[in-house]
Amino acid sequence: MNTDLLIVGGGPAGLNAAYKAASNGLKTTVIDRWFTLGGQLNQQTQFYNNLPQHFENQRGYQLANYLIDRLRKLDVKILENHKMIGAYNNGSIGVTDGKSTFQVQAANVIMTTGAMEEPDIFPGWTLPGVMTAGAAQILINRERVLPGKRALILGSNNFALEVARQLNDCGVAVKGIVESRNELLSQNDELLCEVDIPVLLDSAIERAIGKGEVEKVYVNTDGIESVYDVDLICIAKGMTPIFEPFEIMSCDLTYQEKLGGWLPKYDSRFETTSPSVYIAGNAAGITNIGGILLTGEIAAASILEKSNAANSLKIEEEKKYLWGELYRIESAENPSALDARLDVIRNFHHETGIQLPVYLDSVFGGLTNG
Amino acid sequence: MHLTNHPVLGKDDRKTIQFYFNNKLLNAKEGQTIAAAIMANGIKKMGVSRKLQQSRGLFCGVGRCYSCFVTVDGLEHVLSCSTLVEEGMEVYSNLSDPDVRRGENEY
Repeated sequence: MNTDLLIVGGGPAGLNAAYKAASNGLKTTVIDRWFTLGGQLNQQTQFYNNLPQHFENQRGYQLANYLIDRLRKLDVKILENHKMIGAYNNGSIGVTDGKSTFQVQAANVIMTTGAMEEPDIFPGWTLPGVMTAGAAQILINRERVLPGKRALILGSNNFALEVARQLNDCGVAVKGIVESRNELLSQNDELLCEVDIPVLLDSAIERAIGKGEVEKVYVNTDGIESVYDVDLICIAKGMTPIFEPFEIMSCDLTYQEKLGGWLPKYDSRFETTSPSVYIAGNAAGITNIGGILLTGEIAAASILEKSNAANSLKIEEEKKYLWGELYRIESAENPSALDARLDVIRNFHHETGIQLPVYLDSVFGGLTNG
Repeated sequence: MHLTNHPVLGKDDRKTIQFYFNNKLLNAKEGQTIAAAIMANGIKKMGVSRKLQQSRGLFCGVGRCYSCFVTVDGLEHVLSCSTLVEEGMEVYSNLSDPDVRRGENEY
């Protein structure tokens, strides 16, 4: 199979990239390992009030439906239930539906593999009833299943509080948010307002016990032990980019703590060290939904620019706008991630000696000027 | 427990189907994963770990941690979080090391 652009991963970054590319005439193929497109956006019920200006603010699952519907109106090949399983010596990518495997020869690839949740371990963490916050969120919002009756949340980042709130709204009694520091990691005060969820600071889960599943949890708060009768522990200790498919494509990696750890190196076009292999979304550093959408669009615009598929002046104007939006959203919600992202890009350009585009001066300048 | 009335998404109008988990007939909703369908019936333990036979259930929910293995219609080591439940499906806990599947030309 031949295509101008192969997108690996049909979450928000991949879907937005696909729309950009296909609506400008590139023959585009999207593969996703799941039964449906949308990725982890499908179970996000929270309202996004700071999307890029060319999107209407809406809830996560509504945005997923919008991105999917918009793409289906175009001539795009969409392969759900298909996984990338390797790369051939001739540069093509091996794709399987679990029964047969075939080669996809793509002039360009954007890999939007997303992120995985970081675990946090304590004695008893393998008991059924202990799961990532993301798993609990999938159960309530996608599967419509209550994962337990009484819960503790381990971690206090934005996602931890969002899931705590969603569990609470679904009728799960959230008995506490356990945080080892002396303050919440999340700066968003609104997430816990008008809900009765205790916050346990300076606290750690010592152990979880139970017969075949979690029944009791021992929490140590500043040396004092308390026992919680809960049947659900949600671990929310942050996310890290999924980079294995980039290793298959021989992309060099770099480490940026503020972007979630190890991730592929990339330049201002979101191209990795492997020519024609691009990156976007949480794989390019853990960010918010605006960052996920915009990085996908910038990667696609860069491919259009290179392929001369669109008016080059128009594309440059668009990229200026997209970078401006990326700066606006990430500097407001996640400034340290933006700083780390610009570091990755600067380092890449420094190593290759290729100059940064002029329009990025304002973005980089905006940061250095504080 | 099935969440029949979601605070944001409203009523669940998916069709009810039936499947077996360890020979017990259970209800599920069409389109649910096997793991979710099992948990909707109040069961959290999907099986046991291979070496120490400790209880295991859903952990990551996205097919990366391999904690939720089950046997589906005779096929061992199937990820219950990433496989959809089907009418009449026979699901069993994995209670030991799975048999490694052999290729067609091996014996």
